[in-house]
Amino acid sequence: MSIIHTEKLRKVFSNKEERTVEAVKGISLDVQQGEIFGLLGPNGAGKTTTMRMLCTLLTPTSGLASVVGFDLHTQSKEIRKRIGYVSQKGGMEIVATGRENIMLQAQLYGMSKTEAAQRVTEVIDRLRLSNFADRKVITYSGGQRRIFDLASGIIHTPELLFLDEPSTGLDPQSRARVWEEVVGLHKAGTTIFLTTHYLEEADALCHRVAIVDQGDIVALGSPAELKRQIAGDIIVMGFDAENKIEEIRNLINKYERVKETQIADTSLHVFVDKGDQALPVIIQLLNQRGITPTTIQLSRPSLDDVFLKLTGRSLRESEASAKKDR
Amino acid sequence: MRDTFLILKNELLVTLRNPFWIVRGIVQPVIYLLLFAPFLDGIANLPGFPAKSAIQFFVPGLLIMNAMFSAGFEGFSLMDKVESGFLERLRVTPVSRLALALGFVFETSVTLIIQSLILVLLSLFLGFQSNLVGIFVLLVLILLIGITMSSISFTLALFIREGGILAGIINTFVLPLMIISGVMLPLDFAPGIIQAISKFDPFTYAVSASRSLVTGVFSGGSIISAFIIFIVLAVGALVWFIRAMREAVA
Repeated sequence: MSIIHTEKLRKVFSNKEERTVEAVKGISLDVQQGEIFGLLGPNGAGKTTTMRMLCTLLTPTSGLASVVGFDLHTQSKEIRKRIGYVSQKGGMEIVATGRENIMLQAQLYGMSKTEAAQRVTEVIDRLRLSNFADRKVITYSGGQRRIFDLASGIIHTPELLFLDEPSTGLDPQSRARVWEEVVGLHKAGTTIFLTTHYLEEADALCHRVAIVDQGDIVALGSPAELKRQIAGDIIVMGFDAENKIEEIRNLINKYERVKETQIADTSLHVFVDKGDQALPVIIQLLNQRGITPTTIQLSRPSLDDVFLKLTGRSLRESEASAKKDR
Repeated sequence: MRDTFLILKNELLVTLRNPFWIVRGIVQPVIYLLLFAPFLDGIANLPGFPAKSAIQFFVPGLLIMNAMFSAGFEGFSLMDKVESGFLERLRVTPVSRLALALGFVFETSVTLIIQSLILVLLSLFLGFQSNLVGIFVLLVLILLIGITMSSISFTLALFIREGGILAGIINTFVLPLMIISGVMLPLDFAPGIIQAISKFDPFTYAVSASRSLVTGVFSGGSIISAFIIFIVLAVGALVWFIRAMREAVA
């Protein structure tokens, strides 16, 4: 059963003076009950906008959607009762304690004071937050705060939990902790819909991933399926700036085992069959012209390679240019 | 209704955790009280001065002025809530937008009443004399002004979302309204044109009503006018804010 179903969901932002921006260009997808589904893409791809529409925070410009079995346009209140949402910012009141913050949330979901207090303690214990639950949020570390954000999202045991960039800005240890809790929540029966611009996150957590770029889904499938679209292996070679990377690319393209090449910054991504056998040949080709790469890597395809292949840009590059635009 | 109370309670808790907010709110009126009111002492002897002493003249206006600005700048607290994601966290719960709006506005009302009481107490030490019932009725008027101003400020905050612009708008409109309402100096001293314009300033009636009330005069026409005007404005502004919250702008 699909817990989220959308048809050509679209959002156009228009400022009076500025140009209109089509942030989401008609996304159609189905999320099944019980899966961890991820939207992967660079900042500005429309991930958060899509999620905010599904969470009833933003009215779609056009298109249809049903969430937890209710219509997004007409039954938002029913949806709100059954979903949890943790935004990137979290939204904790910093001078209140973590417990007070989620206590308010629990009561707003209609629990009585005693019910709420009981449930809050339960969640705090389960997420191992009791050591600092009664300190003001302002004293928390980024990681502690993030887990508390999670707690606020699940206080009413939602069927479906939305996580917007759950581990952005966290140190590796805290990130591992967040992942652990997300997996725990999933095991306890919660369907999870998350956005991320971390490939590792999508790869580690998601059963299925939709790769989003410029407001559109460019690929959808399990991480393994997506990676399989790139048959063979990838050789990534770094070059000194004085080497003319375009020329090298043309040279390598002549080799029959090479299926495709892409340039990202100063490195060349070469998609090949049987990379282990192709690598020595390629090095020899380069050496004949007196070119020596500074780095060479032979790897199985990653989601970044999928993104690169589909959009012609690497995720990290898109990330950097999205920041410049701002 | 329960939700409104929950939001109100949470907001008050947050304000109490950081009493700096209440204090910061009244620093300016206290400075006026301590540094500006003495200037009026000399003027109080001039013929045509409408009160028996400077402090008696200035405090009722000061209370209205505090309500205008203290509540008028509440929009910034809502901007913080938008910025921190707090409002969004509440908006995904089934809580009604009405409850959210009322909770926020009532919190500013409670803060405003506390501020007004502090100012009255401080003034009593400086020789201000007041009728107790009058003060009570005045607090109701202050409450209405507070609801009006904070609702307008909140709504603007939702639409504008840029602190500098909000401050600019509020100062541009509220400062002249405050000055021509006769808070600082008696309107009788103003040129005819300003006196004429001041008839269109709702705060003129509030200031005038405030001055009557503290002396225990309850019959003045300005009192009834002030209440009618601000009941209408408070309801209108509140409805505007509730609708803005419903349209889910933030």
